[in-house]
Amino acid sequence: MRSKLEIIFISISFIFTAFLFIIIGTLFIMPSTEGFLSAIFSNELLASIKLTLSTSVLAAFCVILVAVPTAYSLSRYSFPLKSLIKSILDLPMAFPEIVLGIALLMILGDRFLGSWLESLGIDIVFTTTGIIIAQFFVALPYAVRILYSTFNYVNPRYEFVSRSLGYGEFETFRKITLPLAKGGIFASSVVTLARCIGTFAAVLLVGGGTYLKTETLPIAIYYNLSLGNIDTAITAAIILVLISFGAIFVMEKYAHENMEGVN
Amino acid sequence: MFLDVQNLSVKLGQFHLHDVNLSLEKNDYMVIIGPTGSGKSVLLETIAGFFTPDKGEVIMEGKKITNQSPENRGISIVYQDYVLFPHMNVFENIAYGLRKKIQKDSFISSKVEKMAKMLQIDHLLSRNPETLSGGEKQRVAIARSLVVEPNILLMDEPFAALDVNTHAYLTTLIKNVINKHQTTCIHVSHNFNDVYNLAEKVAVMKDGKILQQGTLHDVFSRPTHNFVADFVGVHNVFQGEIVGHDKSLLQIEIDPGIIIHSSDDFQHDSNDVMVAIRPENIIFSNEKFVSSVRNQLKGVVKDIFEVGHTVWIEVQVGDVTFRGVLTPNSCESLGIKREKEIYLSFKSLNVNLMECRDAYHSI
Ligand SMILES: Nc1ncnc2c1ncn2[C@@H]1O[C@H](COP(=O)(O)OP(=O)(O)O)[C@@H](O)[C@H]1O
Ligand SMILES: [Mg+2]
Repeated sequence: MRSKLEIIFISISFIFTAFLFIIIGTLFIMPSTEGFLSAIFSNELLASIKLTLSTSVLAAFCVILVAVPTAYSLSRYSFPLKSLIKSILDLPMAFPEIVLGIALLMILGDRFLGSWLESLGIDIVFTTTGIIIAQFFVALPYAVRILYSTFNYVNPRYEFVSRSLGYGEFETFRKITLPLAKGGIFASSVVTLARCIGTFAAVLLVGGGTYLKTETLPIAIYYNLSLGNIDTAITAAIILVLISFGAIFVMEKYAHENMEGVN
Repeated sequence: MFLDVQNLSVKLGQFHLHDVNLSLEKNDYMVIIGPTGSGKSVLLETIAGFFTPDKGEVIMEGKKITNQSPENRGISIVYQDYVLFPHMNVFENIAYGLRKKIQKDSFISSKVEKMAKMLQIDHLLSRNPETLSGGEKQRVAIARSLVVEPNILLMDEPFAALDVNTHAYLTTLIKNVINKHQTTCIHVSHNFNDVYNLAEKVAVMKDGKILQQGTLHDVFSRPTHNFVADFVGVHNVFQGEIVGHDKSLLQIEIDPGIIIHSSDDFQHDSNDVMVAIRPENIIFSNEKFVSSVRNQLKGVVKDIFEVGHTVWIEVQVGDVTFRGVLTPNSCESLGIKREKEIYLSFKSLNVNLMECRDAYHSI
């Protein structure tokens, strides 16, 4: 016999998961097949998919490159202002992305850095570079968070043993630390990629959302919805859902296999 | 001295390693004992170079290595929790240190296989570490450390996670391998069997300090601190020879003409044994008396010294010195003073026998 509490709690989890599933599932039955196909092969969405994937992959790659050393130093070393750095890195997760967007726009725009960059011939605002920078800063804190706990779980004694057997710091990092952290690195890459793909407000502000040029998938949803092109908007949404499911699936499948050795 | 640790001090958060001094000759086997949290691991890891000391020096073969990186010290470390690299199989774990120095695969293979055979893990070389038992893992970890022929092998409670039988088996195995390789070892343990079976030198550590160090004999029979006495339990340790049986009792000669009885059911290959009697089990009296106590010897008080609230006396019987402990009151009522004749009594039950080892011959 299940207890009352058990029944009530399990029911709640069923009901609301079902709601969530139905809400997302509805997206898939809304557009007509022709509507979906013509939308997905429209110039706008094809460009948008290409743009979103290429910027996100690049941004996610940069994020991991920066997040690995950042998270590792936060986990292993003590240094001045460490807790301040940790708080700053956590901030963007708590406040809205759009705030980060406007801040980036102000800095990269005409006011400060922008004019200097412009004199060097570097355009950032309203370009794909702008998109990548926006995605980078939105996703970085998430990656650092995951990697921080990953490195915390890698027993430093593995590194000690490697050092004592004659390997220097860098070799030890490459041969021992990174392989032991690969589950976490993989998970954070997937989360980072998903976060980059889904970034909306910051990318809209910094990238400008120019038709066929800097219009990523989330922006495409927003534009097409406001213009009344429901099929296109929903199709863009479906693509995003599929990408997310793909990411989660890959993560579930590989994360477990790769977490061993982290203890 | 082969390894000299001089005034080594390390601060880590709240913990402070104070002025640690250690010295080891080549091929010494030192066992460090002490309660949890006393800084034994920190000491080993500082010697290995993972922590930077605030003060003091680590000197190996006359060369200061205090500021050398761990990878250049030739000091291997073995931990209680094995820390085998999970992304490598047993062979690759053992070969890891060799690969840094040697390119030739055939040479690496032969070294790994030889070491694995010696530690009786040659049938496990292609296995993954997580499929091994605790004892097997620890043998792999020891093989990995020894195969690079380190100057010093540090072992941090290597047997603490193993069951009693595995512990005994590994002790014998390690002893042989270490002897064969002539490796200088520092072994942290809280098991007195490790001290009896392996140690040539003992150091007792507490609160970041080495309270006492010396030969097994020094530390166990003449502690200089109350804590050491309490912690190790002082022993009278003698070398002796089994000279006969008296029903279930073994008769052991510890000095020409001085024979004591033991009811220890000791399995012995040779007649050479070590005898240990705890000082608190020795009863002192001015007269001989009739009782069930099997051992009664006559001796002369040679020394009296106070440790805390107890009085220790040294009584010479033939060429052997027994140590006993009394309260100041009984000491006074027996009228104990130097050169006084006195009788010692102890039950055969309280005479413990241990395997005799070369280490004692020099004592
Ligand atoms: N990296 C570190 N930072 C701060 N304190 C530490 C560190 N490593 C160990 N300690 C502290 O040092 C003390 C001694 O630890 P340890 O050497 O592990 O003791 P033992 O091995 O004798 O049980 C403990 O109180 C422990 O919390
Ligand atoms: Mg320890």
